[in-house]
Amino acid sequence: MSSANNSQQHRRVALITGASKGLGRALAEFLAARGYDLVLTARTRKTLQETAKALAVYEVTIKAIAGDVADANHRQALIAAAQKLGRLDLLVNNASTLGPEPMPTLADYPIDKLTEVFALNTIAPVALTQLALPLLKASRGLVVNLSSDAAVGGYETWGGYGGSKAALDLISKTLANELRPSGVGVVSVDPGDMRTDMKQASEPDTDFSDLPLPDVTLPFWAWLLGQDPAGVSGQRYQAQAEQWEIVA
Amino acid sequence: MNRTELVFDRPANLAATTPPEQRGIARDDIRLMVSSPSGHTHTQFHDLPKFLRSGDLLVVNRSATLPASLPANGPLGLMTLNLSTNYGGNLWLAEPRWSPSKQGPLPLKAGESLCVAGVTGRLVAQYPGLPRLWFVQFDASIEVEMVRKGQPIRYGYLEGSYPLSTYQTVFADTPGSAEMPSAGYPFTQPLVNALRTRGVLMADITLHTGVSSLEVEVDEVERHPLYPEPFVVSASTAQAVNEARSEGRRIIAVGTTVVRALESAWDNDANGLRAASGFTRLYITPTHGVHVVDGLITGLHDPVTSHLAMLYAIAGQTLVRDAYAEAVREGYLWHEFGDSHLILARE
Repeated sequence: MSSANNSQQHRRVALITGASKGLGRALAEFLAARGYDLVLTARTRKTLQETAKALAVYEVTIKAIAGDVADANHRQALIAAAQKLGRLDLLVNNASTLGPEPMPTLADYPIDKLTEVFALNTIAPVALTQLALPLLKASRGLVVNLSSDAAVGGYETWGGYGGSKAALDLISKTLANELRPSGVGVVSVDPGDMRTDMKQASEPDTDFSDLPLPDVTLPFWAWLLGQDPAGVSGQRYQAQAEQWEIVA
Repeated sequence: MNRTELVFDRPANLAATTPPEQRGIARDDIRLMVSSPSGHTHTQFHDLPKFLRSGDLLVVNRSATLPASLPANGPLGLMTLNLSTNYGGNLWLAEPRWSPSKQGPLPLKAGESLCVAGVTGRLVAQYPGLPRLWFVQFDASIEVEMVRKGQPIRYGYLEGSYPLSTYQTVFADTPGSAEMPSAGYPFTQPLVNALRTRGVLMADITLHTGVSSLEVEVDEVERHPLYPEPFVVSASTAQAVNEARSEGRRIIAVGTTVVRALESAWDNDANGLRAASGFTRLYITPTHGVHVVDGLITGLHDPVTSHLAMLYAIAGQTLVRDAYAEAVREGYLWHEFGDSHLILARE
């Protein structure tokens, strides 16, 4: 018996944005435990370092780089880190912002703030995907864009965040079609209601202690990452749904 | 639906502790109770064709049983690892046990390694809400070693151990189930031929069972956690079911796995079945209801199990409870090698 490292297989590499807390952290831990090397990013250096430290037990390589994915230089640094690890199998665009809190109606939405929401939630995932494509093509990898039920809900005051996610859904579907010949898959995933800091920030006065923690989505990630990217590309999944299907 | 609605008294002695072959009878000699709105009839399984008619569509599960119980060695010493579901990429959901007959939970931690039939497996995470189940990442395929060193999963109520062939149904041609889809167990090839002669049509699905779920512990039955299982409903099966529905012919599922697969392929917009392939944890309760199944051939299910809720969904709680009282009175045998039950929601 050798050590726990998956030394006889090629190592797999994932890049996760918004990885220090909530869903991003749960997914990072799941992948580290599976033997993935990781490039992790989040805006707050301290919580990101804490996450990276907690994952050290899994004996994988972790590059934790704090920064804002809306910043082009930071995106370059993330892809450079993946290049140093030799490959990229999975890009998870998870970082996002609710925008101003409490969330304003669209009639009153400060346009500069709305522009920031779209820059982080919609444009940054496209920009990061563009940079990651050479690596993803080489590994026939998968891009996962995190969406939300707000993308289809039309809920009052969720127009900024929900609009940015609806646009991201269409971008995911379009990218999937455009990238099909390359073997790179693109999916969008609505993780469902979970007990996270973001959920609490959306409604500061509501008690969300009944909601499941982000690890409720682990069976979905386990399933998704076991599929051939071509079999799932272009789909929008709900991680807490009763079933997940591949494309016929 | 409240948990108390799934409670009934099943005497402990009403359990099959050996396969019928060991009791000196053929698989299709086991007892069969036929329950329908007009009452209950007691017969033997080989008489099944008498209770079906030309045009009935019988849907069976092709999944074959794996030798999924493996010896393992880890931080706690020798143990058993029952593999439940293959997620791909050498990741499995599995149930660590002290031994085949002694269940966990074991005090294990994520990141710890096991040696499973000679293959290294790392504990990744517990299944959310079901801490006795772990995701295990193997560093190579476990399937070859499983065939060499695995045993069929067996529980403490069975006397003796039996070869894998005892755990295969006549329909089994696609390995993947942790536990035998046991409703198909009493079918023999001569019986299948007799059904075809009768004009009964056959179609199939694949659904690979995971390890058995435990008793419902929550008050609200719908909140009982289920984990997903791989399934395939082919285009030809979807078409056969849709034709039967449009012509008013009965669709009879052989096993709860078939109900789950068919209902997972239901397309509300099209008001019919479509081809589907993926993982499903669809939980069929009276609240959910059923769209395609008129009847079910299944074993007898234990008190307070989620399967009972599915039976209620198909045939109504009154009919099912009445049938179970009858089965207890008549001394029917429970469990995977026990007696069989044809439940028809309509004549």
